[in-house]
Amino acid sequence: MAERPEDLNLPNAVITRIIKEALPDGVNISKEARSAISRAASVFVLYATSCANNFAMKGKRKTLNAGDVLSAMEEMEFQRFVAPLKESLEVYRREQKGKKEARKDKDKKADSEEQDKSREEENDDDDERMEEEEQNDEEEVDN
Amino acid sequence: MAAAAGAVPVPVPVPAAGAEAAGPGEEAAGAGPPGTGPARLARLPLARVKALVKADPDVSLASQEAVFVLARATELFVETIAKDAYVYAQQGKRKTLQRKDLDNAIEAIDEFAFLEGTLD
Repeated sequence: MAERPEDLNLPNAVITRIIKEALPDGVNISKEARSAISRAASVFVLYATSCANNFAMKGKRKTLNAGDVLSAMEEMEFQRFVAPLKESLEVYRREQKGKKEARKDKDKKADSEEQDKSREEENDDDDERMEEEEQNDEEEVDN
Repeated sequence: MAAAAGAVPVPVPVPAAGAEAAGPGEEAAGAGPPGTGPARLARLPLARVKALVKADPDVSLASQEAVFVLARATELFVETIAKDAYVYAQQGKRKTLQRKDLDNAIEAIDEFAFLEGTLD
C-alpha cells in the first residue's frame, strides 16, 4: 500500500487535544475544521522538512539536524517558535542522556553474565541517526 | 501461581497519544504533564512525524533531535492556527470553530500562505 505524503496523517486524538487546549473553554471545533487542521499540520511537516533539508544541503550534510529545523522555522516566518523549541530541545536532550545512562547500566548487568562476548554496545552514536533502533523508544500510535 | 508483580515491567503499548500518566518512563514522545508550557516533550508520536520526513525523496536521513523539533514545531503550529482561526469564529459570534474560519485565517495571514490550495 503506497502512502502518498498527503495521506500521512497525525493522530486525530492528539491534534484535537492540542486544538482544545489552545482555545478557551467551551469552544468547540467542527469535524471539518479539525480534519483540515490535521491536514495542515501534515503539510507543515512536509514544508518544514523540505526547508530544513535546504539548510542541510548548504552545510554539505546528508543528515537533517535540529539546527536545520530551527533555521527552517525562521525561513518560514515562524521565528516566534524558535525560543520555545530551543527550550524543548534542552529538555529532550537531558531526557535522552538519562536514558542512555539507564541503558548503560542495564548493559553492565548483562555483561557481567557474558564477559566473553565482545562489547558492541559501547558505540552509542547511533543515537544521532534515525534508524530502526529508535523504535525501541517510541510507540506507534495507530488511530 | 501468582504473577510476579515485582518483576521488570514489560513495555505494554500504551496509547501514548492520549495518556497523561506515563508508565515507567518508557516512552520518549508522550511523557510529561500537560500544560507545562513550551519546555514539554512532544505529544505527537515521533514515528509518525518521521514517516512524513521520509516521504521527501530529497531527504536521506534525519537525526532523532530533528524529528523531535519538527514534532514540537508542528504542535506549536496547530496551536497557532487554531487560535488565529478562532478570531474569525468570534467575529461571527460562534463558539464552534468551522472550516471557513480556517480558510479565512489562511487567506489573511502571510505565514499560512504555504497552505493555500493544499487542504482540499
